[in-house]
Amino acid sequence: MNILESVQVALEGIWTNRLRSFLTMLGIIIGVAAVIGVVAIGQGSRSVILSEFEKIGSNLFIIYTRWEEGKPPRTWEDLTLRDAEVLQELVPEIQLMAPITFSQATVTSGDKNKMARLYGTTAGYEEIRNVELARGRFFTDDDNKAVRSVVVIDSELAEELFGRKDPLGRKVVVGGHPMVVIGVVKVTDSLLGMDDTREVYLPINTLHKAFQTRYIHQLEGKAVTKDVVDLAMEQGIRILERRHGKDFSRGVTLESDLEMGNRILGILTLVIGSIAGISLCVGGIGVMNIMLVSVTERTREIGLRKALGARRKDILLQFLIESVTICLIGGFIGFLLGIGLALAIAAVAKWPPVLSWWPVILAIAFSSAVGIFFGLYPANKAAKLDPIDALRYE
Amino acid sequence: MVKLEKIHKIYDTGATQVHALVEINLEIQKGEFLAVMGPSGSGKSTLMNIIGLLDRPTRGSYFLEGKEVSQLDEETLARTRNRHIGFVFQTFNLLPRADALRNVELPMLYAGIKPRQRRAKALEALERVGLADRLLHKPNELSGGQKQRVAIARAIVNKPSVILADEPTGALDTRTGEEIMALFQELNEEGATIVVVTHETDIARHAKRVVQIRDGRVLTDRAVTEPLQAKKVLQRWEEVGR
Repeated sequence: MNILESVQVALEGIWTNRLRSFLTMLGIIIGVAAVIGVVAIGQGSRSVILSEFEKIGSNLFIIYTRWEEGKPPRTWEDLTLRDAEVLQELVPEIQLMAPITFSQATVTSGDKNKMARLYGTTAGYEEIRNVELARGRFFTDDDNKAVRSVVVIDSELAEELFGRKDPLGRKVVVGGHPMVVIGVVKVTDSLLGMDDTREVYLPINTLHKAFQTRYIHQLEGKAVTKDVVDLAMEQGIRILERRHGKDFSRGVTLESDLEMGNRILGILTLVIGSIAGISLCVGGIGVMNIMLVSVTERTREIGLRKALGARRKDILLQFLIESVTICLIGGFIGFLLGIGLALAIAAVAKWPPVLSWWPVILAIAFSSAVGIFFGLYPANKAAKLDPIDALRYE
Repeated sequence: MVKLEKIHKIYDTGATQVHALVEINLEIQKGEFLAVMGPSGSGKSTLMNIIGLLDRPTRGSYFLEGKEVSQLDEETLARTRNRHIGFVFQTFNLLPRADALRNVELPMLYAGIKPRQRRAKALEALERVGLADRLLHKPNELSGGQKQRVAIARAIVNKPSVILADEPTGALDTRTGEEIMALFQELNEEGATIVVVTHETDIARHAKRVVQIRDGRVLTDRAVTEPLQAKKVLQRWEEVGR
């Protein structure tokens, strides 16, 4: 009896006991669907997080002053406008460097006013942060040097203040200081978006002058490639320490955040994956149970087959193939279900469906392994039956 | 063909030893029609199991086609059974889910015969037992007599050295049983060696030779001078309208 015929016999048996076979498969179906679903969800969310980070700005790193208890408070001298320029000039790994001063103010136009977060920075920031302009332009070095009263506002703020009217060239009052709108920034739909605060960008010198400060909160930079982000940041910090003669700077890169996110996702996938694996194991026990019932039910058949010349290994193979077939069919259904689950979740969560080939291999390998492992004991029990006793079995 | 020499079968139940067979000497020639008779517990089932290579004797020799087979290993026993023994059981023992053809093909499955050849041989055997029109019927669509004919087709399909029938008419009514005996007699006339195990004298009278077993020993071993011809019996029943 060859394998193909055994598979045929197994399929007939499964078809004859449809309901029982289905119930037996259920554990395997759920297990495999869960494994594949979890893997797909893990990969999908990872790709989303990656693309979100891309949106925020690739190769981005941030240097800001250390603020610790017991240390002297930060002063305006900690970071200067010159620092950003020096870093960009001296470190070959740094492509762009921009200083940033944060503030907050009410933005008024006519009878409408809104609270907004202010970003005082220099030209180049829009490239560091991948800021996309919907209309107009970002301010230039020239605007900054001349301390022009120009602002770039985000599209939502523009709509709230001016409705459908073209905001370019219009006047707004930022914290009591009149400014001219020269650009509108697209508001990106970000899953990682902090809040829906309105944002206003203006030349850093303009902001310093208007709000009577020289304080710089942080430096943001863009490295030339992804691989040298850490190096660029380290070089920058070393230069800053030398320039200021004290140990006060510290940086973060998005890559380090990303790595941590990845690690958390990995652990989550592992945990849920193990739960799915346990359900697969429970499914396997179900298969073993039914196979044992089946062996008992078919004792006479086994006796007959042996009397007619079946050897131990023929019987062993027959029952093993049955359990593997059940598990493989279950695995296939579970695989389809898992894919469906992954696609459905991707559709709901609005992330790109990530399907790779290895969950397929995983599903096939796992379900046949379960079939062999949990089928071996019942099949061996069947193979060991004595034909005389088996034929006499009622 | 079959030669048993001083066969003993002892079952060790721990406390006591049961002597199921005691020094059995039996020779069956090719083309014989032998009936083994005896009440239950006489040891005739044990004898049948040993001749059928389902069991090994404790002592003694068994020559099948001139070859000593009494102490073969399990795998060789299975192969020898497959080639040399055709079993017919009281309760038919057909695979319930398989049609007649598939049931008859079963022993050839384990003989490693190719599917096309299997089908052809199974067809031939089913035609021989008169079931050419029942090839694709499942056992539950067949009468008792038809089921036993399928079983007989299965027993003859590998052209075995000996056909072993254990109470082949036990589950059938008298008339159907007589028909089955007629079939056995026909096969015997065509050269098949047949051993029927039974406790019914009426059935044993169809054989050419009757061996009586009592308490694990051969009590009598006699040739039947004039075996009952099943066909004639059926004819006579036809005439009296039975």
